Amino acid sequence: MTKRRSLFVLALVIAMGVLPLVAQQQQADRVKAIGGKFLCMCGCSQVLTQCNHVGCTMSAGMLKELGQWVNRGDSEATITQAFVQQFGTTVYAEPPKTGFSLIAWAMPVIYFVAGAALVLFVISRWRKRPQAAGVDAAAPVTAAGVKISQEAMERGRAQAARETED
Amino acid sequence: MDVFGSFTLLLAFVCAVYAFVGGIAAIITRHPLLVKSTRQAGIATCVLIFIGTFSLEYLLFSDNFSQAYVVSHSNRDLSAFYKIAALWSGQEGSLLFWSFLLAVYVISVLIAYRHKNGELMPYVGVILAGVQIFFLTLNNFVESPFKTLANVSASGVLEPFVRMDGNGLNPLLQYPEMVIHPPNLYSGYTGFTIPFAFALAALLARYPGEKWIHLTRKWTMIAWCFQSIGILLGAHWAYAVLGWGGYWGWDPVENASLLPWLTGTAFLHSVMMQEKRGMMKVWNVWLVFSTFLLCILGTFLTRSGVVSSVHAFANSQIGPWFVSFMLLTLVVCFVAYVKNHDYLKSENQLDSMISRESSFLFNNLLFLVACIAVLSGTLFPVFTEWFTPSRISVGAPFFNKIMIPIGLAILFLTGVGPLLAWRKTSTDSLKRNFTWPLVAGALSAVLAYILDYRNAFSLVCLSLCGFVFWTIVMEFYRGAKVIAARSGMSMMMSAHELAMRNTRRYGGYVVHFGMVLIFIGLAGAAFNTDVQKTMNLGDSMKLGPYTLVLQSADTKPEKNYTAERMIVEVLKGNKQLMMLYPEKRAFQGRDQANGTMVAIYSTLREDVYVVFAGMDPDTNLPVIHAFLNPLVKCIWLGGVWVVMGTLLALMPNRRAALVIAGATQPAASPVAPALTPSVTLRESHD
Repeated sequence: MTKRRSLFVLALVIAMGVLPLVAQQQQADRVKAIGGKFLCMCGCSQVLTQCNHVGCTMSAGMLKELGQWVNRGDSEATITQAFVQQFGTTVYAEPPKTGFSLIAWAMPVIYFVAGAALVLFVISRWRKRPQAAGVDAAAPVTAAGVKISQEAMERGRAQAARETED
Repeated sequence: MDVFGSFTLLLAFVCAVYAFVGGIAAIITRHPLLVKSTRQAGIATCVLIFIGTFSLEYLLFSDNFSQAYVVSHSNRDLSAFYKIAALWSGQEGSLLFWSFLLAVYVISVLIAYRHKNGELMPYVGVILAGVQIFFLTLNNFVESPFKTLANVSASGVLEPFVRMDGNGLNPLLQYPEMVIHPPNLYSGYTGFTIPFAFALAALLARYPGEKWIHLTRKWTMIAWCFQSIGILLGAHWAYAVLGWGGYWGWDPVENASLLPWLTGTAFLHSVMMQEKRGMMKVWNVWLVFSTFLLCILGTFLTRSGVVSSVHAFANSQIGPWFVSFMLLTLVVCFVAYVKNHDYLKSENQLDSMISRESSFLFNNLLFLVACIAVLSGTLFPVFTEWFTPSRISVGAPFFNKIMIPIGLAILFLTGVGPLLAWRKTSTDSLKRNFTWPLVAGALSAVLAYILDYRNAFSLVCLSLCGFVFWTIVMEFYRGAKVIAARSGMSMMMSAHELAMRNTRRYGGYVVHFGMVLIFIGLAGAAFNTDVQKTMNLGDSMKLGPYTLVLQSADTKPEKNYTAERMIVEVLKGNKQLMMLYPEKRAFQGRDQANGTMVAIYSTLREDVYVVFAGMDPDTNLPVIHAFLNPLVKCIWLGGVWVVMGTLLALMPNRRAALVIAGATQPAASPVAPALTPSVTLRESHD
């Protein structure tokens, strides 16, 4: 047997040993990824792959089914359809990004955008509000009678406030 | 004793009604005797609730199995420790416990302010009595905990009967943290009633200035602290008992506890705007109202069965009562606001977009968006049922996607806020203040990357943690340096002195440090790994750098349960670290009731978390599920710092010698030179 041939045989033997392990790992990862998109139907509100609390009557069976479908090479869409047929739409771990469920995804973004717009509006309104009468009536004067510029006074105030307030 | 307990609760209800009606009459007539008698009625209500609660505990401790509540939630072998917890393990008892904790707050307020704030207190008394009337109505007429068991005899007459033993306490609740978690959480829920009562009273009475805020600030912090402890203990209980390897599953009941915490936290920040600048008065009043309403909403969600949860109480008919109470409260708040909104006009203007005020506004925006997002996600399944033929679940993946960015933004502002000055921050100041924290943030990201925490969100989170941590260090360092230079004290002593001089400010920073630790812990969740294996004795499994060997198994009979234990040895390399004993418990009193006890080997870097997940039905061998959860301990340590910070913030300031502007400065005392401040101090409100 030539050296090249013996290397080829060795590689083949290694590949035969390793490939099933790799495939097994890939399938396990796929089960984990797909299972993470569904809830366990025992009522615990946990993601299927995370639900293992003692006494759970559902997660083991659901994971077994999922494993069988993944081994069979079913697509994610097919598996999703099978679970939805079996348990209804409550099996989704998160609302689908279609139809009425889209509102669930849109709402936080709308809250944030509307809230941010409101905050910016409030800030701009407060900035335009005139200062209270008397505040700028006269330049501040120290006890020694020295006039201080408004800017320096503001800087001093800001520093004092920062160092002494919450 | 059951009749006695029932009677005291009925009497408490009558007293509360008198305190409410008489209080309104006292406000109208301003008759001093009426004011005094309604206050006494308020105190009597609380005392009677205490007696009623102790009556139920007495029934539990005396194993009185003629009582439906005792039969449902206790048994003879239940330890005294858990007989205390049985009080709040069922719907009726927990509602009574609500009334009990509320009574503790109410009696404290009525006694503490009996000679103070004469204008405001009658209003406060009426509002508190109103809330008490609602809960006492439930205690007396809807979900009474004092129900006697009865059988219908052959002659058709109801005859009382006594069971030999009870069903026992829910196994999930037989865990030490379950004895302290609900009281803390409920203390948070009930505690927010006090700021609510003062805010509404101030609005109704048009009470001058910000005094109501000064009066209730500590009450708010106390409630917030309890709520924080309650949430963290609940998370730890879920982690240590439920056995799924996590601590927060975005369950509706967990969410319900988070909602008032979020608005309460927003209030604790925005209240400073009102105190310092006279701004955001409308906002603050509505934040307090919302926090109280969310506490009631949380209680409603937990008990009405409107959302499904493993933590929820059995479904009952109390939902409409809570909805009615919430609507009534909302109407009262709204009417009070409409009639008196001119009283809440802001006094100040904003000087600059880049200021502490702006950071507080954005901080409040984020807290509120977080709150509404969690609320709408929690209630979305209910909405889908209303508007579509099917129900849609909203689980942890949705909340994680929404809340992680919001949480990171809040963390960012936690660092930014203290670096900005009130009114206006100059560009120079921005450069000076932000340089080192930004460097610290960048270095933290590099360090996290080197340590293999390579996930985008986790890297951002850990980087922000470094940024915030450095801002806190700088705040302490700058202040302590001034004191050290003037007093000659060491930096550590100076930092201590600094914190004691302005407990609220530096207590707040300690709380921020605790939150940094919590965020570090949360960042670790992205790297959780787990292995599940059916194991024979002597088998081993690899979990990261650890090897777990199943050494043996045994059975351990206890008074109230029998534990089936797996004895698992933890090794790192060849070094034996410790033995872990994950177990399954079969409880007496409840048919086939099982509990679990997770075994955890915890270090600052990671937790080895081992669960005995049951027997494999095919091989009849034990199944061991092991998790490697990095950085979890930081969450619990962070919780401790949050509590310490809040306690520090609750302490009165150590008074430095005040240098009043314009006054002649006295000669520095040779005894206490360190107490002379470097700048003119504004008197604090404590």
